[in-house]
Amino acid sequence: MHSQPFTHNAIEVASLAKSYKAVRAVRDISFSMRRGEIVALLGPNGAGKTTTLEILEGFRARDGGTVRVLGLDPADRSAARELRERTGLVLQDIAVEPYLTVRETIARQAGYYPVPRKVPEVIGLVGLAGLERRKVKALSGGQKRRLDLALGLIGAPELLYLDEPTTGFDPSARRDAWQLVRDLRETGTTVLLTTHDMAEAEALADRVIVLSGGLVLAQGPTAALAGADANRARITFSLPAGFAVEDLPLAGNAADGAFVIETTSPTEDLHQLTGWALRRSITLSGLAVDRPSLEDVYLRLTSEGALAGAPERSAR
Amino acid sequence: MTALAVLARPARSRGRDNVRLLAHQVRYEQLSFWRNPQSAIFTFVFPVLFVTILGALFGTTGKNASFDGLPVLEYYIPTIAAMSVLGSCYGQLAVALAARRQNGILKRVRATPLPAWAYFGGLLAHCILVSFVDVALIVLVGRLYGAPLPSDWVAIIVPLVLGAASFCSLGVAAASVISNADAAPAVAQIVMFPLLFLSGTYMPITSKWLTQITGWLPVRPFNEALTGPLSRQGGLSWHQLEILALWGVLGIAVAVRRFRWDPRPE
Repeated sequence: MHSQPFTHNAIEVASLAKSYKAVRAVRDISFSMRRGEIVALLGPNGAGKTTTLEILEGFRARDGGTVRVLGLDPADRSAARELRERTGLVLQDIAVEPYLTVRETIARQAGYYPVPRKVPEVIGLVGLAGLERRKVKALSGGQKRRLDLALGLIGAPELLYLDEPTTGFDPSARRDAWQLVRDLRETGTTVLLTTHDMAEAEALADRVIVLSGGLVLAQGPTAALAGADANRARITFSLPAGFAVEDLPLAGNAADGAFVIETTSPTEDLHQLTGWALRRSITLSGLAVDRPSLEDVYLRLTSEGALAGAPERSAR
Repeated sequence: MTALAVLARPARSRGRDNVRLLAHQVRYEQLSFWRNPQSAIFTFVFPVLFVTILGALFGTTGKNASFDGLPVLEYYIPTIAAMSVLGSCYGQLAVALAARRQNGILKRVRATPLPAWAYFGGLLAHCILVSFVDVALIVLVGRLYGAPLPSDWVAIIVPLVLGAASFCSLGVAAASVISNADAAPAVAQIVMFPLLFLSGTYMPITSKWLTQITGWLPVRPFNEALTGPLSRQGGLSWHQLEILALWGVLGIAVAVRRFRWDPRPE
Protein backbone atom coordinates (compact mmCIF):
# COMPACT_ATOMS: atom_id res chain seq x y z
CA MET A 1 0.00 0.00 0.00
CA HIS A 2 2.75 2.44 0.91
CA SER A 3 4.68 1.70 -2.28
CA GLN A 4 1.74 3.06 -4.29
CA PRO A 5 1.89 6.73 -5.18
CA PHE A 6 -0.59 8.69 -3.10
CA THR A 7 -2.42 10.00 -6.13
CA HIS A 8 -3.86 6.54 -6.78
CA ASN A 9 -5.93 6.88 -3.65
CA ALA A 10 -8.34 9.70 -2.99
CA ILE A 11 -7.84 9.38 0.76
CA GLU A 12 -5.12 7.79 2.89
CA VAL A 13 -5.47 7.82 6.66
CA ALA A 14 -2.96 6.07 8.91
CA SER A 15 -2.97 5.89 12.72
CA LEU A 16 -5.10 9.01 13.03
CA ALA A 17 -5.55 10.28 16.59
CA LYS A 18 -7.38 13.27 18.06
CA SER A 19 -8.40 14.17 21.60
CA TYR A 20 -10.57 16.94 22.98
CA LYS A 21 -9.11 17.56 26.43
CA ALA A 22 -9.59 14.19 28.17
CA VAL A 23 -11.86 12.69 25.52
CA ARG A 24 -10.06 10.57 22.94
CA ALA A 25 -12.49 11.10 20.05
CA VAL A 26 -10.24 9.32 17.54
CA ARG A 27 -7.82 6.78 18.99
CA ASP A 28 -6.34 4.95 16.03
CA ILE A 29 -8.06 5.07 12.66
CA SER A 30 -6.54 3.87 9.40
CA PHE A 31 -8.25 3.44 6.07
CA SER A 32 -7.89 4.35 2.44
CA MET A 33 -10.26 5.16 -0.41
CA ARG A 34 -9.65 4.62 -4.09
CA ARG A 35 -10.62 7.29 -6.59
CA GLY A 36 -14.16 6.87 -7.84
CA GLU A 37 -15.23 4.86 -4.83
CA ILE A 38 -18.25 5.50 -2.61
CA VAL A 39 -17.44 4.70 1.01
CA ALA A 40 -19.80 4.98 3.97
CA LEU A 41 -18.44 5.85 7.40
CA LEU A 42 -20.75 4.24 9.95
CA GLY A 43 -20.84 4.23 13.70
CA PRO A 44 -22.87 5.33 16.71
CA ASN A 45 -22.83 8.95 17.90
CA GLY A 46 -19.46 9.66 19.46
CA ALA A 47 -17.71 6.99 17.39
CA GLY A 48 -15.38 9.57 15.88
CA LYS A 49 -17.03 9.97 12.46
CA THR A 50 -17.47 13.73 12.54
CA THR A 51 -14.01 14.31 14.01
CA THR A 52 -12.43 12.13 11.32
CA LEU A 53 -14.39 13.94 8.62
CA GLU A 54 -13.47 17.37 9.98
CA ILE A 55 -9.79 16.46 10.05
CA LEU A 56 -10.00 15.30 6.43
CA GLU A 57 -11.84 18.52 5.50
CA GLY A 58 -9.15 20.63 7.15
CA PHE A 59 -11.42 22.07 9.86
CA ARG A 60 -9.55 20.42 12.71
CA ALA A 61 -5.92 19.71 13.49
CA ARG A 62 -4.99 16.12 14.27
CA ASP A 63 -2.86 15.04 17.23
CA GLY A 64 -1.17 12.16 15.44
CA GLY A 65 -1.07 10.01 12.34
CA THR A 66 -0.81 10.86 8.66
CA VAL A 67 -3.56 12.04 6.33
CA ARG A 68 -3.49 12.53 2.56
CA VAL A 69 -6.52 13.84 0.70
CA LEU A 70 -6.07 13.90 -3.10
CA GLY A 71 -2.35 13.65 -2.36
CA LEU A 72 -2.39 16.76 -0.14
CA ASP A 73 -2.15 17.14 3.62
CA PRO A 74 -5.25 18.95 4.92
CA ALA A 75 -3.20 20.31 7.83
CA ASP A 76 -0.88 22.07 5.36
CA ARG A 77 -2.20 25.62 5.10
CA SER A 78 -0.44 26.26 1.79
CA ALA A 79 -2.40 23.38 0.24
CA ALA A 80 -5.73 24.54 1.64
CA ARG A 81 -6.95 26.55 -1.33
CA GLU A 82 -6.15 23.83 -3.87
CA LEU A 83 -7.74 21.20 -1.66
CA ARG A 84 -10.91 23.26 -1.31
CA GLU A 85 -11.05 23.79 -5.06
CA ARG A 86 -11.00 20.03 -5.57
CA THR A 87 -13.34 18.90 -2.79
CA GLY A 88 -16.97 19.64 -2.06
CA LEU A 89 -18.86 19.11 1.11
CA VAL A 90 -22.38 18.91 2.40
CA LEU A 91 -22.44 19.46 6.16
CA GLN A 92 -25.03 18.19 8.60
CA ASP A 93 -26.52 21.62 9.28
CA ILE A 94 -28.45 23.48 6.65
CA ALA A 95 -26.42 26.67 6.17
CA VAL A 96 -27.86 28.99 3.54
CA GLU A 97 -28.62 32.70 3.68
CA PRO A 98 -32.36 33.39 3.70
CA TYR A 99 -32.73 36.39 1.38
CA LEU A 100 -31.05 35.20 -1.81
CA THR A 101 -32.85 33.13 -4.41
CA VAL A 102 -31.93 29.55 -5.23
CA ARG A 103 -30.14 30.60 -8.41
CA GLU A 104 -28.25 33.44 -6.70
CA THR A 105 -27.12 31.21 -3.85
CA ILE A 106 -25.70 28.65 -6.27
CA ALA A 107 -24.21 31.29 -8.59
CA ARG A 108 -22.40 32.92 -5.68
CA GLN A 109 -20.86 29.59 -4.69
CA ALA A 110 -19.96 28.89 -8.34
CA GLY A 111 -17.90 32.08 -8.43
CA TYR A 112 -15.57 30.67 -5.77
CA TYR A 113 -14.35 27.81 -7.97
CA PRO A 114 -11.97 27.90 -10.92
CA VAL A 115 -13.93 25.47 -13.11
CA PRO A 116 -17.45 25.17 -11.70
CA ARG A 117 -20.35 23.19 -13.09
CA LYS A 118 -23.04 25.20 -14.85
CA VAL A 119 -25.62 26.63 -12.46
CA PRO A 120 -28.72 25.39 -14.38
CA GLU A 121 -27.13 21.94 -14.68
CA VAL A 122 -26.70 21.66 -10.91
CA ILE A 123 -30.21 23.01 -10.27
CA GLY A 124 -31.50 20.21 -12.48
CA LEU A 125 -29.26 17.59 -10.86
CA VAL A 126 -30.60 18.22 -7.36
CA GLY A 127 -34.21 18.56 -8.50
CA LEU A 128 -34.75 22.26 -7.84
CA ALA A 129 -35.76 23.13 -11.42
CA GLY A 130 -38.66 25.57 -11.42
CA LEU A 131 -37.62 27.03 -8.04
CA GLU A 132 -34.68 29.09 -9.37
CA ARG A 133 -36.28 32.41 -8.45
CA ARG A 134 -37.62 31.36 -5.08
CA LYS A 135 -36.06 32.95 -1.99
CA VAL A 136 -34.22 30.50 0.21
CA LYS A 137 -36.36 31.39 3.22
CA ALA A 138 -39.46 30.22 1.33
CA LEU A 139 -38.03 26.73 0.67
CA SER A 140 -39.08 23.66 2.64
CA GLY A 141 -36.54 21.83 4.79
CA GLY A 142 -36.03 19.15 2.16
CA GLN A 143 -35.60 21.77 -0.58
CA LYS A 144 -32.99 23.61 1.50
CA ARG A 145 -31.15 20.35 1.92
CA ARG A 146 -31.16 19.91 -1.87
CA LEU A 147 -29.76 23.41 -2.15
CA ASP A 148 -27.04 22.37 0.30
CA LEU A 149 -26.29 19.44 -1.96
CA ALA A 150 -26.13 21.77 -4.96
CA LEU A 151 -23.57 23.93 -3.15
CA GLY A 152 -21.45 20.85 -2.54
CA LEU A 153 -21.59 19.90 -6.22
CA ILE A 154 -21.18 23.25 -7.95
CA GLY A 155 -17.37 23.24 -7.82
CA ALA A 156 -17.25 19.95 -9.76
CA PRO A 157 -15.31 18.32 -6.91
CA GLU A 158 -13.12 15.27 -7.40
CA LEU A 159 -14.00 14.27 -3.85
CA LEU A 160 -17.33 14.94 -2.18
CA TYR A 161 -18.04 14.63 1.55
CA LEU A 162 -21.66 13.99 2.43
CA ASP A 163 -22.45 14.21 6.14
CA GLU A 164 -25.83 12.55 6.64
CA PRO A 165 -27.03 13.90 3.30
CA THR A 166 -30.62 12.63 3.21
CA THR A 167 -31.71 13.41 6.78
CA GLY A 168 -35.16 14.97 6.50
CA PHE A 169 -35.82 13.76 2.96
CA ASP A 170 -39.08 12.04 2.15
CA PRO A 171 -38.68 8.55 0.66
CA SER A 172 -38.90 9.66 -2.97
CA ALA A 173 -36.51 12.58 -2.44
CA ARG A 174 -34.15 10.17 -0.76
CA ARG A 175 -34.32 7.81 -3.71
CA ASP A 176 -33.59 10.76 -6.08
CA ALA A 177 -30.61 11.76 -3.96
CA TRP A 178 -29.28 8.22 -4.08
CA GLN A 179 -29.60 8.20 -7.85
CA LEU A 180 -27.75 11.52 -7.95
CA VAL A 181 -24.87 10.05 -5.93
CA ARG A 182 -24.71 7.06 -8.28
CA ASP A 183 -24.70 9.44 -11.27
CA LEU A 184 -21.82 11.32 -9.66
CA ARG A 185 -19.86 8.11 -9.40
CA GLU A 186 -20.36 7.67 -13.14
CA THR A 187 -18.52 10.98 -13.61
CA GLY A 188 -15.64 9.64 -11.50
CA THR A 189 -16.44 11.56 -8.31
CA THR A 190 -15.21 9.96 -5.11
CA VAL A 191 -17.78 10.12 -2.31
CA LEU A 192 -17.22 9.72 1.41
CA LEU A 193 -20.51 9.71 3.28
CA THR A 194 -21.62 9.30 6.86
CA THR A 195 -25.07 8.03 7.62
CA HIS A 196 -27.13 6.40 10.34
CA ASP A 197 -29.35 4.87 7.68
CA MET A 198 -28.07 1.38 6.95
CA ALA A 199 -30.35 1.08 3.93
CA GLU A 200 -28.60 4.16 2.53
CA ALA A 201 -25.15 2.67 3.12
CA GLU A 202 -26.27 -0.60 1.57
CA ALA A 203 -27.78 1.18 -1.44
CA LEU A 204 -24.84 3.47 -2.18
CA ALA A 205 -21.56 2.38 -0.68
CA ASP A 206 -19.01 0.18 -2.40
CA ARG A 207 -17.36 -0.20 0.97
CA VAL A 208 -18.29 0.57 4.54
CA ILE A 209 -16.07 1.45 7.48
CA VAL A 210 -17.58 0.91 10.91
CA LEU A 211 -16.16 3.12 13.68
CA SER A 212 -16.73 2.82 17.39
CA GLY A 213 -14.96 4.47 20.29
CA GLY A 214 -12.47 6.13 17.95
CA LEU A 215 -11.35 2.84 16.42
CA VAL A 216 -12.15 0.99 13.19
CA LEU A 217 -14.34 -1.95 14.18
CA ALA A 218 -14.67 -3.39 10.70
CA GLN A 219 -14.23 -2.36 7.11
CA GLY A 220 -14.80 -4.03 3.80
CA PRO A 221 -16.97 -4.17 0.71
CA THR A 222 -20.59 -3.58 1.66
CA ALA A 223 -21.77 -6.87 0.21
CA ALA A 224 -19.01 -8.83 1.96
CA LEU A 225 -19.65 -7.15 5.29
CA ALA A 226 -23.37 -7.71 5.10
CA GLY A 227 -22.51 -11.24 4.01
CA ALA A 228 -19.84 -11.71 6.65
CA ASP A 229 -22.55 -13.76 8.24
CA ALA A 230 -23.36 -15.36 4.89
CA ASN A 231 -23.57 -18.76 6.53
CA ARG A 232 -25.72 -17.39 9.35
CA ALA A 233 -29.37 -17.52 8.41
CA ARG A 234 -32.75 -17.32 10.05
CA ILE A 235 -35.56 -19.72 9.13
CA THR A 236 -39.03 -18.59 10.17
CA PHE A 237 -42.35 -20.39 9.74
CA SER A 238 -45.64 -21.21 11.47
CA LEU A 239 -46.98 -24.61 12.46
CA PRO A 240 -50.58 -25.80 12.86
CA ALA A 241 -52.00 -25.61 16.37
CA GLY A 242 -50.79 -28.24 18.77
CA PHE A 243 -47.13 -28.26 17.80
CA ALA A 244 -44.48 -27.07 20.20
CA VAL A 245 -40.82 -26.20 19.85
CA GLU A 246 -39.90 -29.59 21.31
CA ASP A 247 -41.56 -31.35 18.35
CA LEU A 248 -39.10 -29.81 15.86
CA PRO A 249 -36.19 -31.85 14.57
CA LEU A 250 -33.91 -28.87 15.20
CA ALA A 251 -33.25 -26.48 18.04
CA GLY A 252 -35.38 -23.39 17.68
CA ASN A 253 -37.63 -21.08 19.56
CA ALA A 254 -41.09 -19.64 19.32
CA ALA A 255 -41.59 -15.93 18.98
CA ASP A 256 -44.83 -14.04 18.31
CA GLY A 257 -46.64 -17.23 17.27
CA ALA A 258 -43.93 -18.08 14.70
CA PHE A 259 -41.06 -20.49 15.02
CA VAL A 260 -37.51 -19.33 14.43
CA ILE A 261 -34.44 -21.42 13.78
CA GLU A 262 -31.08 -19.65 13.77
CA THR A 263 -28.55 -21.64 11.84
CA THR A 264 -25.09 -21.55 10.39
CA SER A 265 -25.86 -24.38 7.93
CA PRO A 266 -29.11 -23.28 6.30
CA THR A 267 -28.95 -25.75 3.38
CA GLU A 268 -28.84 -28.85 5.53
CA ASP A 269 -31.18 -27.56 8.21
CA LEU A 270 -33.80 -26.43 5.73
CA HIS A 271 -33.68 -29.86 4.07
CA GLN A 272 -34.12 -31.57 7.42
CA LEU A 273 -36.97 -29.28 8.41
CA THR A 274 -38.93 -29.63 5.16
CA GLY A 275 -38.34 -33.42 5.16
CA TRP A 276 -39.73 -33.57 8.68
CA ALA A 277 -42.79 -31.56 7.63
CA LEU A 278 -43.41 -33.59 4.46
CA ARG A 279 -43.28 -36.90 6.33
CA ARG A 280 -45.98 -35.59 8.68
CA SER A 281 -47.95 -33.79 5.90
CA ILE A 282 -47.62 -30.48 7.76
CA THR A 283 -47.64 -27.15 5.94
CA LEU A 284 -44.90 -24.73 7.06
CA SER A 285 -46.92 -21.61 6.43
CA GLY A 286 -45.08 -18.33 5.98
CA LEU A 287 -41.81 -20.19 5.48
CA ALA A 288 -38.95 -17.73 4.95
CA VAL A 289 -35.18 -17.85 5.02
CA ASP A 290 -33.36 -14.58 5.37
CA ARG A 291 -29.85 -13.44 5.92
CA PRO A 292 -28.87 -10.68 8.33
CA SER A 293 -28.98 -7.22 6.76
CA LEU A 294 -26.18 -4.69 7.03
CA GLU A 295 -28.20 -3.24 9.89
CA ASP A 296 -28.17 -6.54 11.80
CA VAL A 297 -24.42 -6.88 11.23
CA TYR A 298 -23.86 -3.26 12.23
CA LEU A 299 -25.88 -3.58 15.41
CA ARG A 300 -24.07 -6.79 16.38
CA LEU A 301 -20.67 -5.24 15.61
CA THR A 302 -21.28 -2.03 17.51
CA SER A 303 -22.79 -3.76 20.54
CA GLU A 304 -19.85 -6.18 20.64
CA GLY A 305 -17.53 -3.24 20.15
CA ALA A 306 -19.26 -1.46 23.01
CA LEU A 307 -18.56 -4.42 25.26
CA ALA A 308 -14.99 -4.99 24.09
CA GLY A 309 -13.75 -1.49 23.37
CA ALA A 310 -15.89 0.53 25.80
CA PRO A 311 -16.24 3.44 23.35
CA GLU A 312 -15.71 6.82 24.89
CA ARG A 313 -18.79 8.90 24.33
CA SER A 314 -18.56 12.55 23.72
CA ALA A 315 -20.86 15.27 22.52
CA ARG A 316 -19.03 15.30 19.21
CA MET B 1 -1.02 14.52 -12.36
CA THR B 2 -2.69 12.66 -15.15
CA ALA B 3 -3.32 14.28 -18.49
CA LEU B 4 -7.03 14.41 -17.73
CA ALA B 5 -6.50 16.25 -14.48
CA VAL B 6 -4.27 18.80 -16.22
CA LEU B 7 -6.93 19.37 -18.87
CA ALA B 8 -9.54 19.91 -16.21
CA ARG B 9 -7.54 22.65 -14.46
CA PRO B 10 -6.19 25.05 -17.06
CA ALA B 11 -3.39 27.34 -16.03
CA ARG B 12 -4.78 30.70 -15.04
CA SER B 13 -3.72 33.89 -13.40
CA ARG B 14 -4.28 34.01 -9.65
CA GLY B 15 -4.07 37.79 -9.70
CA ARG B 16 -6.99 38.23 -12.09
CA ASP B 17 -8.88 35.54 -10.22
CA ASN B 18 -8.41 37.44 -6.99
CA VAL B 19 -9.80 40.71 -8.34
CA ARG B 20 -12.74 38.83 -9.85
CA LEU B 21 -13.33 37.03 -6.54
CA LEU B 22 -13.40 40.28 -4.60
CA ALA B 23 -15.86 41.90 -7.02
CA HIS B 24 -18.02 38.76 -6.93
CA GLN B 25 -18.02 38.82 -3.14
CA VAL B 26 -18.95 42.52 -2.91
CA ARG B 27 -21.77 42.00 -5.39
CA TYR B 28 -23.37 39.21 -3.39
CA GLU B 29 -22.85 40.96 -0.03
CA GLN B 30 -24.74 43.91 -1.53
CA LEU B 31 -27.46 41.62 -2.83
CA SER B 32 -28.08 39.90 0.50
CA PHE B 33 -27.98 43.26 2.27
CA TRP B 34 -30.52 45.01 0.05
CA ARG B 35 -32.81 41.99 0.08
CA ASN B 36 -33.06 42.03 3.85
CA PRO B 37 -35.67 44.68 4.72
CA GLN B 38 -34.50 44.93 8.32
CA SER B 39 -30.94 45.85 7.50
CA ALA B 40 -32.02 48.50 4.98
CA ILE B 41 -34.44 50.09 7.45
CA PHE B 42 -32.04 50.15 10.38
CA THR B 43 -29.16 51.38 8.31
CA PHE B 44 -30.82 54.10 6.26
CA VAL B 45 -34.25 55.02 7.57
CA PHE B 46 -33.16 55.52 11.16
CA PRO B 47 -30.37 58.09 10.62
CA VAL B 48 -32.40 59.93 7.96
CA LEU B 49 -35.35 60.10 10.33
CA PHE B 50 -33.06 61.39 13.05
CA VAL B 51 -31.69 64.21 10.89
CA THR B 52 -35.18 65.06 9.65
CA ILE B 53 -36.43 65.47 13.21
CA LEU B 54 -33.38 67.45 14.27
CA GLY B 55 -33.72 69.62 11.19
CA ALA B 56 -37.37 70.30 12.01
CA LEU B 57 -36.47 71.13 15.63
CA PHE B 58 -33.25 73.09 15.16
CA GLY B 59 -33.10 73.92 11.44
CA THR B 60 -33.36 77.62 12.08
CA THR B 61 -31.35 77.76 15.32
CA GLY B 62 -28.17 79.80 14.88
CA LYS B 63 -24.70 79.31 16.33
CA ASN B 64 -24.87 78.12 19.91
CA ALA B 65 -22.03 78.28 22.42
CA SER B 66 -23.08 75.07 24.17
CA PHE B 67 -22.91 73.21 20.83
CA ASP B 68 -19.20 73.92 20.34
CA GLY B 69 -20.12 77.21 18.74
CA LEU B 70 -21.93 75.51 15.84
CA PRO B 71 -25.53 75.87 14.68
CA VAL B 72 -27.32 72.99 16.44
CA LEU B 73 -28.15 71.09 13.26
CA GLU B 74 -24.57 71.39 12.06
CA TYR B 75 -23.39 69.95 15.36
CA TYR B 76 -25.61 66.92 14.82
CA ILE B 77 -25.04 66.17 11.13
CA PRO B 78 -21.46 64.87 11.63
CA THR B 79 -22.30 63.00 14.84
CA ILE B 80 -25.32 61.31 13.28
CA ALA B 81 -23.19 60.51 10.22
CA ALA B 82 -20.57 58.95 12.51
CA MET B 83 -23.28 57.00 14.33
CA SER B 84 -24.65 55.63 11.07
CA VAL B 85 -21.15 54.47 10.03
CA LEU B 86 -20.69 52.91 13.45
CA GLY B 87 -24.00 51.08 13.09
CA SER B 88 -23.49 49.85 9.56
CA CYS B 89 -19.87 48.76 10.15
CA TYR B 90 -19.32 47.80 13.77
CA GLY B 91 -22.93 46.98 14.66
CA GLN B 92 -23.87 45.13 11.49
CA LEU B 93 -20.68 43.06 11.35
CA ALA B 94 -20.71 42.08 15.03
CA VAL B 95 -24.28 40.83 14.72
CA ALA B 96 -24.16 39.38 11.19
CA LEU B 97 -20.90 37.50 11.62
CA ALA B 98 -21.94 36.03 14.97
CA ALA B 99 -25.19 34.87 13.36
CA ARG B 100 -23.46 33.52 10.25
CA ARG B 101 -21.06 31.58 12.42
CA GLN B 102 -23.83 30.17 14.59
CA ASN B 103 -25.89 28.88 11.68
CA GLY B 104 -22.91 27.36 9.90
CA ILE B 105 -22.65 29.82 7.00
CA LEU B 106 -19.09 30.79 7.93
CA LYS B 107 -18.03 27.17 8.08
CA ARG B 108 -19.58 26.63 4.67
CA VAL B 109 -17.64 29.63 3.31
CA ARG B 110 -14.46 28.25 4.86
CA ALA B 111 -14.97 25.00 2.97
CA THR B 112 -14.84 26.84 -0.37
CA PRO B 113 -11.64 28.06 -2.04
CA LEU B 114 -12.61 31.67 -1.26
CA PRO B 115 -9.60 33.04 0.64
CA ALA B 116 -10.27 34.66 4.02
CA TRP B 117 -8.92 38.01 2.80
CA ALA B 118 -11.46 38.02 -0.06
CA TYR B 119 -14.30 37.26 2.32
CA PHE B 120 -13.34 40.09 4.68
CA GLY B 121 -12.34 42.35 1.81
CA GLY B 122 -15.81 41.88 0.37
CA LEU B 123 -17.41 42.76 3.70
CA LEU B 124 -15.19 45.81 4.09
CA ALA B 125 -15.94 47.13 0.61
CA HIS B 126 -19.63 46.50 1.18
CA CYS B 127 -19.59 48.37 4.51
CA ILE B 128 -17.69 51.32 3.04
CA LEU B 129 -20.23 51.56 0.22
CA VAL B 130 -23.13 51.48 2.67
CA SER B 131 -21.40 54.12 4.83
CA PHE B 132 -21.02 56.44 1.83
CA VAL B 133 -24.68 56.10 0.93
CA ASP B 134 -25.64 56.69 4.55
CA VAL B 135 -23.55 59.81 4.97
CA ALA B 136 -24.66 61.17 1.59
CA LEU B 137 -28.30 60.78 2.62
CA ILE B 138 -27.69 62.51 5.95
CA VAL B 139 -25.82 65.40 4.32
CA LEU B 140 -28.52 65.81 1.67
CA VAL B 141 -31.34 65.89 4.22
CA GLY B 142 -29.29 68.41 6.22
CA ARG B 143 -28.92 70.49 3.05
CA LEU B 144 -32.72 70.69 2.82
CA TYR B 145 -32.61 72.47 6.19
CA GLY B 146 -29.85 74.78 5.09
CA ALA B 147 -26.75 72.95 6.38
CA PRO B 148 -23.70 73.31 4.13
CA LEU B 149 -22.27 70.64 1.81
CA PRO B 150 -18.75 69.38 2.59
CA SER B 151 -16.06 71.92 1.79
CA ASP B 152 -13.25 69.56 0.94
CA TRP B 153 -13.95 66.17 -0.68
CA VAL B 154 -10.64 64.62 0.37
CA ALA B 155 -11.23 65.72 3.94
CA ILE B 156 -14.57 63.90 4.01
CA ILE B 157 -13.60 60.78 2.02
CA VAL B 158 -10.43 59.97 3.97
CA PRO B 159 -12.00 59.91 7.46
CA LEU B 160 -15.04 58.08 6.10
CA VAL B 161 -12.98 55.27 4.57
CA LEU B 162 -10.63 55.07 7.54
CA GLY B 163 -13.48 55.23 10.06
CA ALA B 164 -15.51 52.61 8.22
CA ALA B 165 -12.48 50.32 8.01
CA SER B 166 -11.63 50.77 11.70
CA PHE B 167 -15.20 50.14 12.81
CA CYS B 168 -15.39 47.10 10.52
CA SER B 169 -12.28 45.74 12.16
CA LEU B 170 -13.78 46.37 15.61
CA GLY B 171 -17.00 44.69 14.45
CA VAL B 172 -15.11 41.58 13.36
CA ALA B 173 -13.23 41.67 16.68
CA ALA B 174 -16.54 41.88 18.57
CA ALA B 175 -17.94 38.95 16.57
CA SER B 176 -14.78 37.04 17.46
CA VAL B 177 -15.26 37.40 21.19
CA ILE B 178 -19.06 36.98 21.21
CA SER B 179 -19.70 33.24 21.15
CA ASN B 180 -23.48 33.29 21.30
CA ALA B 181 -25.22 34.91 18.32
CA ASP B 182 -28.43 35.46 20.31
CA ALA B 183 -26.48 37.73 22.65
CA ALA B 184 -24.67 39.59 19.85
CA PRO B 185 -27.16 42.47 19.32
CA ALA B 186 -27.34 43.17 23.05
CA VAL B 187 -23.57 42.98 23.54
CA ALA B 188 -22.94 45.22 20.52
CA GLN B 189 -25.50 47.77 21.79
CA ILE B 190 -24.25 47.79 25.36
CA VAL B 191 -20.81 48.84 24.11
CA MET B 192 -22.11 51.24 21.45
CA PHE B 193 -24.78 53.17 23.30
CA PRO B 194 -22.76 54.53 26.28
CA LEU B 195 -19.83 55.22 24.00
CA LEU B 196 -22.02 57.27 21.64
CA PHE B 197 -23.59 59.10 24.55
CA LEU B 198 -20.32 59.96 26.29
CA SER B 199 -18.66 60.97 23.05
CA GLY B 200 -21.18 63.75 22.44
CA THR B 201 -23.19 62.09 19.70
CA TYR B 202 -26.58 62.80 21.26
CA MET B 203 -25.71 65.98 23.18
CA PRO B 204 -22.62 68.10 23.71
CA ILE B 205 -20.39 66.97 26.59
CA THR B 206 -19.00 69.80 28.70
CA SER B 207 -16.94 67.74 31.15
CA LYS B 208 -13.25 68.29 30.33
CA TRP B 209 -11.94 65.05 31.80
CA LEU B 210 -14.69 63.04 30.09
CA THR B 211 -13.84 64.66 26.79
CA GLN B 212 -10.21 63.76 27.32
CA ILE B 213 -11.00 60.11 28.02
CA THR B 214 -13.41 59.72 25.11
CA GLY B 215 -10.85 61.48 22.95
CA TRP B 216 -8.83 58.27 23.15
CA LEU B 217 -11.81 56.01 22.45
CA PRO B 218 -12.90 55.49 18.84
CA VAL B 219 -16.15 57.50 18.59
CA ARG B 220 -15.19 61.06 19.57
CA PRO B 221 -12.18 61.22 17.23
CA PHE B 222 -14.43 60.06 14.41
CA ASN B 223 -17.07 62.67 15.31
CA GLU B 224 -14.39 65.35 15.25
CA ALA B 225 -12.83 64.09 12.03
CA LEU B 226 -16.23 64.40 10.33
CA THR B 227 -17.18 67.71 12.00
CA GLY B 228 -14.18 69.41 10.39
CA PRO B 229 -15.12 68.90 6.74
CA LEU B 230 -18.90 68.75 7.26
CA SER B 231 -19.51 71.76 9.51
CA ARG B 232 -16.35 73.83 9.91
CA GLN B 233 -15.04 73.97 6.32
CA GLY B 234 -11.97 72.28 7.81
CA GLY B 235 -9.46 69.80 6.41
CA LEU B 236 -8.06 66.52 7.67
CA SER B 237 -7.76 66.07 11.43
CA TRP B 238 -4.55 64.03 11.58
CA HIS B 239 -4.47 63.38 15.31
CA GLN B 240 -8.04 62.01 15.29
CA LEU B 241 -7.33 59.88 12.22
CA GLU B 242 -4.29 58.37 13.96
CA ILE B 243 -6.37 57.35 16.97
CA LEU B 244 -9.01 55.83 14.67
CA ALA B 245 -6.31 53.91 12.80
CA LEU B 246 -4.90 52.60 16.10
CA TRP B 247 -8.31 51.27 17.06
CA GLY B 248 -8.55 49.63 13.65
CA VAL B 249 -5.20 47.91 14.18
CA LEU B 250 -6.28 46.78 17.65
CA GLY B 251 -9.47 45.31 16.14
CA ILE B 252 -7.47 43.46 13.51
CA ALA B 253 -5.13 42.07 16.17
CA VAL B 254 -8.03 40.71 18.23
CA ALA B 255 -9.80 39.36 15.12
CA VAL B 256 -6.69 37.59 13.84
CA ARG B 257 -6.18 35.87 17.18
CA ARG B 258 -9.77 35.10 18.09
CA PHE B 259 -11.88 34.85 14.94
CA ARG B 260 -13.48 31.41 14.46
CA TRP B 261 -15.36 30.07 11.44
CA ASP B 262 -16.63 27.01 13.23
CA PRO B 263 -19.78 27.27 15.37
CA ARG B 264 -18.42 24.58 17.70
CA PRO B 265 -14.78 25.26 18.39
CA GLU B 266 -12.73 22.70 20.30
